[in-house]
This record gives sequence, structure tokens and C-alpha cells, in this order.
Amino acid sequence: MPAAMTTPDPDRLLAEVSELVARFAPPGAKLERTTELTSDLSIDSVAAMDLVMEIEDRYGIDVPVNEIADLVTLGDLVDLVARQLGARG
Amino acid sequence: MVLATPTVNRGLPFRTGGFRSLLEGLDYAAGGETGVNFYNGRGELEQVLSYRELRDRAAALAPRLAGLGLARLERVAILAETSPEFLVAFMACQFAGLVPVPLPLALSLGTHRTHVERLRGMLESSRAKVAIASEAYRGQLAEAAVGTLVTWIGTHAELAALPPSDRPVLPLGPDDPCYVQYSSGSTSFPRGVLVTQQAITANARAIAEHGLALRPGDRCTSWLPLYHDMGLVGCCLTPVLTQISVDYLATASFATRPLVWLKLLSATGGTISFAPTFGYELCARRVAANGLVGLDLSRWRVAGIGGEMIRPKALAEFARAFAAAGFDERAFVPSYGLAEATLAVTFAPLGRGVRADTVELGEAFERRRIAAPAGPRAQRTRAFAICGRPMPGYTIEIRDEHGRALPERRVGRVCIKGPSLMTGYDHNPEATRQVLLEDGWLDTGDMGYLVDGELVVTGRSKDLIIVNGRNIWPQDLEWAVERLPGVRPGDVAAFAVTGEDERERIVVIVQCRTGDPRQQAEFRRTVQAVINRQAGTECELVLAPPRSLTYTTSGKLSRAAARAGYLEGTIRDLGGIVPVEPGTPANSPRGPLAEVG
Repeated sequence: MPAAMTTPDPDRLLAEVSELVARFAPPGAKLERTTELTSDLSIDSVAAMDLVMEIEDRYGIDVPVNEIADLVTLGDLVDLVARQLGARG
Repeated sequence: MVLATPTVNRGLPFRTGGFRSLLEGLDYAAGGETGVNFYNGRGELEQVLSYRELRDRAAALAPRLAGLGLARLERVAILAETSPEFLVAFMACQFAGLVPVPLPLALSLGTHRTHVERLRGMLESSRAKVAIASEAYRGQLAEAAVGTLVTWIGTHAELAALPPSDRPVLPLGPDDPCYVQYSSGSTSFPRGVLVTQQAITANARAIAEHGLALRPGDRCTSWLPLYHDMGLVGCCLTPVLTQISVDYLATASFATRPLVWLKLLSATGGTISFAPTFGYELCARRVAANGLVGLDLSRWRVAGIGGEMIRPKALAEFARAFAAAGFDERAFVPSYGLAEATLAVTFAPLGRGVRADTVELGEAFERRRIAAPAGPRAQRTRAFAICGRPMPGYTIEIRDEHGRALPERRVGRVCIKGPSLMTGYDHNPEATRQVLLEDGWLDTGDMGYLVDGELVVTGRSKDLIIVNGRNIWPQDLEWAVERLPGVRPGDVAAFAVTGEDERERIVVIVQCRTGDPRQQAEFRRTVQAVINRQAGTECELVLAPPRSLTYTTSGKLSRAAARAGYLEGTIRDLGGIVPVEPGTPANSPRGPLAEVG
């Protein structure tokens, strides 16, 4: 299990999550908080679940299933990771 | 530490039939030690619910439900999470004389809004008065319930904390309905199948005794959603009615890590598990990267396939990939079923594996609808999976457009008769009249033919494309494109539009993942060549952005929605002239994940 970040720095977290998301996005795509995961980056449902797995493994968190449908932008994803890290303490 | 329920009951004799209601079956199973087990995404056991606990908890919850003051047989919507609480609430309805309506979960990114609309459609059409979900989904359900007849929304815990009714409640009996199943129909016109106690007990018995030949020692593993007929009937209610233990994985856990399914099956000694073709496909794709790591699939005797058109090639790839783990390709059992028949109608013989019928796709098949076996010199062929004979008590007839029965190897509408057909769509006599025919026959809407009494399904009749009097099956065009590199299952929709000259023209929409103009142009040339060749005529090709296509809750590609999107201009070609607009309104759950639901 990767080392946990207990107090994630927001900018660093955005950079890290962007790096993970970039692997599923078209080359050279612009990644900002407002970038939409599906319509801007064309991340489809199979890729989305791969991404969820990467995020879970990288941070040692569980991504709640009921929140997947609420993830529209990269910012939403970063916030979710921050929340889960915070909740875990 | 929790221990999973045992596979075999110590003292209780194994019994597959003679139950007149679901509760009679549950009550019998409660006399033993078997039950259901819930595992997390890493395959670790988290919760255990023996059938005895399920009965007792449901019986205790029923007076609380009754205290809400609903009339007998009123509908109770329950979000169908793979959890003990869902099963308890479902069974509590049975005890309280109420009819449960399992509702689907959203599993795709950014689909919150469309999913809420879908839920609202179901709440409206079922006329549910009560809606139940876990804390996690309570808000979503409340949002969906705005403007519906729902008067009480709450969590399982809130329901359990209500004061019980002091009046005695009459449980659902042999002549009552059992539940409402939403699995066909679009978002705007959902159709709920009303499944009776007689239908569920009859279908479960036929599945157990004939289809699967269940015996003591069998154990079921399932990641299928409990709001879908294959998950609910095949992997939940049939096990209850046969005292079989089940190991559950949430659908999202499977979608994130498909191989957890096989690890769980291997670890628990599962003998029975079902999936649509793409479930097997996802595993075969992942195993290359992950290796077989100590999997033992040698005890898996029924690897059932259903829920979508069966693709023999993808299954053969699975069998090859997992042969070293002891998977026997003869364990594959193709089947045919639909919610309107509760679940199952045919099963291929056990131990035979996937047998395909390869037919020639020329003039005879397309115009005269004759499915002739392909000879060695056949130009265009197609291999269809043979789905077996109808179970005892069920009859299949292939009919032409005038309702006349057709002989073997003639393609027509698949009509069925049997002891588990629905009495109708819930609160929808008009939709019911369209499918329930005279003398107890049901028109399934599917096209197929018979070979030695076994059913071969070729597609959905309403999607059939007729160009210049020739019948062309859209699946053929779609699958031809899906075989190309860079294209995934579910990326293609083919349909016909009628032009001003009143002639039909074929349109093929393909979701394109590359934004690079040069790659796009090359992709376009390749696809165009393939579809023209497959259709034998010029087709219009539309390269659309991903997520342009939509799916029904049962995972069937909605060609009608694709066609409507094309005609209305919401699905447009990416190429040069028209810019891609982010967030075009055609977004909806798509792809293999949506197919699960």
C-alpha cells in the first residue's frame, strides 16, 4: 500500500491527479480543474473504472461508488480524493 | 471474524420445487445454514446473511413498512444495491403484502442528471408511494422523487426505526404479484414487468431442475446487478428457492477490477456463475496484464452466458486465456431469456460449451430470411450462438409478420409460451397489448430461427434494416466495425433512415477516440470500406465523439436513440466542418458499464 498523505497540499494533489488522468486523456490535452472528464477528455466508462482503480491504489483510498456519477470535472475528482484522504485521517 | 455461509446444509434436505410463493421458499431455506455473502472490491468477506437471518430480519421490518399505511399491493421502490439491506427490504415487502420495485444504480462518470431522470420515470410509472435507499443514495432518490407519488423516502435504518403497525399484515401469497422488474424500455418510456409469485416459482424451478440441474454442493458467485433480471432472478431469487449459498461482489467492484470475480469464484469453490459476453471479455483483456496468479477455475461447472447477443469469438478467447487456470470451455452455457418471461426460456445442454451455427449472409438470408448453413465457398458468413431448447413447459414458435408459424431455419419473430410469462407491464395496458398475443403467447420482439428445435437469436426485430427489399441486421454492421483496432464493443450503432425518395438508407455511427485529423481520415476510410462491404451497399458513416451513443438499463444499445439523435442533429460528424461541442445533450450511460445495468 502506498504511503498515505495525511494533509494533502491542494496544488500538489491537483498536479498528481492530473498526471494520473493524463494517461487516459488524448496526448497534449489541457488539464485544468474545470476540464470535463468525459466530454473534454473522452474518458469512457471502461477507462473511467481503470482510472478509479489507479486512484484507489495510488492513495490507498476507496472511491465511493455513489459518487462516481457526480464526477464531472477534474476538480471534482481532486476534491473527492482530498475528502477521502481527510476522512481517513 | 465473519465466516461465509456453508455450501451444503447439514440437516435440511435439498429441495428445488413445490414452493407456491417466494416466502414459502425462503421459509424453507431458513431451516438450514446457507445464505448470502458480501465481499468488497479486494475480494474480502464483509457481511454475511444466512437465509434464516434474512427471513427473521425481513419479518421484523415488515410491520414498520405496514405502519406507513399503504394499501395492500402498493409499490415500494428500493435502490438495488448489492447489500444485505436491499434483500431484507425486498423480502419485508413480501411479508407486508407490498410489491417491491428494485431501481438501478448509476455507475458512469458524470451521469447524475440523466440517472435521476431515469429513476424519476420509474417512480412515476410504477406509482411507488415509498422509496428506500442507503444513506449514500438517499439524496439522489429524493431528487428523483420530486413531483412523483412518493410520500415517504428514507434509509433502511430510518425505516427500521419507525413504529410498527399494530394490525396484522397479510403476506404476499401464491396468487399475488411478487415484484416489478424494470429492464426494458427507454428512459422516457420505462416499462416495468409485473412478475407474479407463480411466475417466479415456476421459472426458478425450471432453471434449477432443467437449466442448471442444481445439486447439493453447488455454490453461486455473482457480480450482476440486483436490478437486472439475470442478477435478481438467476443469482438471487433462484438460489433462495433452492437453498444455494451465493457470494456477491458489487457490480462496481467487478467493473473496477474484473479479475476479482474469478479470484472470488476460485477461493469459494463457486460452481455456478453468469455474465453477459462482455464480462468474460473484460477478464480476458485484463489477464494479459495480470497473469493467472493461483486461480483455480476447475470447479466452475456452469459459466452461464446471457443478457445480450452472445459472441462466440470473445468467449473462445476467454476459454483460451483461462485454460491454464483449469477453466473448461464446456462449462459455457449459452441461454436465452427476457424479463417478460421472468428470466430464462432456453438453456443450451450442460457440458456442451458454445456451439455456433454459421450461416451464409447472402440473398437468401437477407431477402428470403432463410438461415442456410454456410458452405465452404460462402463469401460472407456469420456465426450465431445456439441457445438450446425451451425448458420443459415452455414453447417457442418462430412467426412471420402475419403471425404464421415458420419451419426450421427460417428467420422470424421469436414468440414464446410458458408458465412464467408476465401478466403485463405494470400500469401499462397499451404496451402490454403490443406484446401479449392470443392464447397466452408473448412476442419477444427478438428475431431468430430454430435448428433441431434449438433457438438461435439473430437480433431485435424492430431494428431490422430493410434496403431495397433486402434485410440487413444492424448487429452485423456493428460487429464488423467493432472488430477493427481502436473500436470497442458498444462504439457502433447502425440503423436505417428513410430518404425523400422513400427508400431506406443505412447510417452507421461510430464513436471515434482520436482527435488527430490524419488518423481520423485514415480511420474513416477503413470503416467506410468495412461497412460498405458488409452491407453490400453504400452507407453513410458518421464519426461521432465518444459517449454519443446511449443504452437501455438492460444494456441494449438504443438504436432508436441513435437514430433520433442523428435526425435531430445532436449526433454529428466530427469531421472538419462541425466543431465538437463539449457536453452535447446526447450524453447518457454507455459502454460496458452501462451494459451491466
